Amino acid sequence: MTTARVGADPVIHVEGLVKRYHQSPTAAVDGIDLDVYPGELFAFLGPNGAGKTTTISILTTALAKTSGVVRIAGYDLDRQAREIRENIGIIFQDPSLDEHLTAEENVRFHVALYGVYGYRPSYRLMPASYRKRVEELSSILGLGPDMFRLVRGFSGGMKRKLEVLRTLMHPPKVLFLDEPTLGLDAVSRQSLWTHLRRVQREEGTTIFLTTHYIEEAETADRIALVRHGRILFLGSPESMKATMTARYVILDAPDRAALRSELADLHPEVAEDGSLKIPFHEETPQTILSHIRVPLSVLRIHMPTLEEAYVGLVTDGDVEEAAS
Amino acid sequence: MTGSPAKEANVVLAVAARDVLRLFRDWKNTVAFTVFFPVAFLGILAGTIGQNLGAGLGFDYLQFALLGMAACLLMMFTTMSVTLLVEERETGFTQEIFVSPTSRVSIFLGKILGGSVAGLISLPALFLVAFAIGVPITLTLIEVILLIAPVFCLMGGAFGVLLSGIFGTNPKAVDQATILTMFPQMFLSGAVVPIRSSSGALYVLVRVMPLTYLVDLVRGVFYQGTPTYGQIVLYNPLIDLTVALALSVVFLVAGMVLFVRGERNR
Repeated sequence: MTTARVGADPVIHVEGLVKRYHQSPTAAVDGIDLDVYPGELFAFLGPNGAGKTTTISILTTALAKTSGVVRIAGYDLDRQAREIRENIGIIFQDPSLDEHLTAEENVRFHVALYGVYGYRPSYRLMPASYRKRVEELSSILGLGPDMFRLVRGFSGGMKRKLEVLRTLMHPPKVLFLDEPTLGLDAVSRQSLWTHLRRVQREEGTTIFLTTHYIEEAETADRIALVRHGRILFLGSPESMKATMTARYVILDAPDRAALRSELADLHPEVAEDGSLKIPFHEETPQTILSHIRVPLSVLRIHMPTLEEAYVGLVTDGDVEEAAS
Repeated sequence: MTGSPAKEANVVLAVAARDVLRLFRDWKNTVAFTVFFPVAFLGILAGTIGQNLGAGLGFDYLQFALLGMAACLLMMFTTMSVTLLVEERETGFTQEIFVSPTSRVSIFLGKILGGSVAGLISLPALFLVAFAIGVPITLTLIEVILLIAPVFCLMGGAFGVLLSGIFGTNPKAVDQATILTMFPQMFLSGAVVPIRSSSGALYVLVRVMPLTYLVDLVRGVFYQGTPTYGQIVLYNPLIDLTVALALSVVFLVAGMVLFVRGERNR
């Protein structure tokens, strides 16, 4: 990260977005407000059934909203859905490839649908610029020799890479990724992200991502945490981690009594193994260490992870809801 | 791709080309499918009727059945090809098509065009079976079928769009609806058995079947000016053509509105 231009006009503007499915007593999306800026990697997180896919389906024009205002790339969802479609790329939760076609035929079909190139019945008859772009992207994504094979024989990772390649043929201002690495092994996931970040960096593409893998959101510019169709948290990964109070230093020394005495003003807690646990908020670990003269045998600093912050926020939301 | 009409025409071509490509990729199924229906309905069903009941009709029954089956098969294959769009919803491919910046009309027209090719490649199998069971195949007969084939395909495609619109969220329901609507039509439209003397409820059912007007149209043109015309044909071919085109437009518009509404308003 980051090529984001926060302060510029938002490339995604959502205001009071509500979606209520037919015959459902509750709203799947219940008043979401958010702005995403050009070049941002924006992660949209939440537990199952939180409303992530519903939101992304509305933003990509695949599903009608119940109410609210949505503007993508400056176009209004109600009046200019077609212009929005011209400016976005989508990778759905489930692969949307035609397995009866080769990888290149899938790409050729896509560019014809998007009006980038006229349809020709064979790759050789396509314009040189098309062939060059396919060669470039397939080489970058490691699909080169497989472009003329039937998609039916592709692994999950290859299908995802092909979908990325296909999407980049138009190329989009905003790329929506709905759990793009679901079901992929760690190597395929890492490889796919390497390419996506490169696209974000080099093309300035805005990425709107939903994912279950919290570590994928670590490098996002901002995160929205959604639960029961409402945003619980909106901010940077660092500010999300800062919502957690679980920051502490663990210390121990051969002379524990002396150590405890030196730290008495900081009110240390005694851990199970007898070591001392000193929480810190405003101060830094250095401030704590400056109180110590006795030689240490253990020094560990615990900082909250994004996953802990995520679980904490979701759990707190559940507790608040149960109490009210 | 400068002008919008050129872009939309390109989409129609691409959607159709994809369907045709799939037909050839899946050639074993395509051959089995295109051979099965002519053999089952012209070779076996119409052949049996012709041998046992056809003698006293006063016209060549097998030729009569061949014309009806041509209309029926072309309509049925195009319908089935269009409803594949709903089946592809399960693989997610329909989403890829419907989030692209293109007109829904172009997508459906492309499906109809692709489905028409699927229907047309079934004709050689139909003629082959007809030849095998001794149907007199004349150049005029082939010309008449090919001349009216676009109307069969348009009606079949439009009917497929309507079924997709009504049952668009459920691929299994679309499959069942296609079978449940096409087979009764095959018998009630007069494709295989004469219906000119139908009365009562059957009289009404015959006339509400869209396929009836296609079957009557092709026979009306083929038997025009022959002594058997009055024995076989229900309406003037111009009336059949008008009804077929009007129904096609109604099916297309209603189907597209329902499909898009069902797709977005869940």
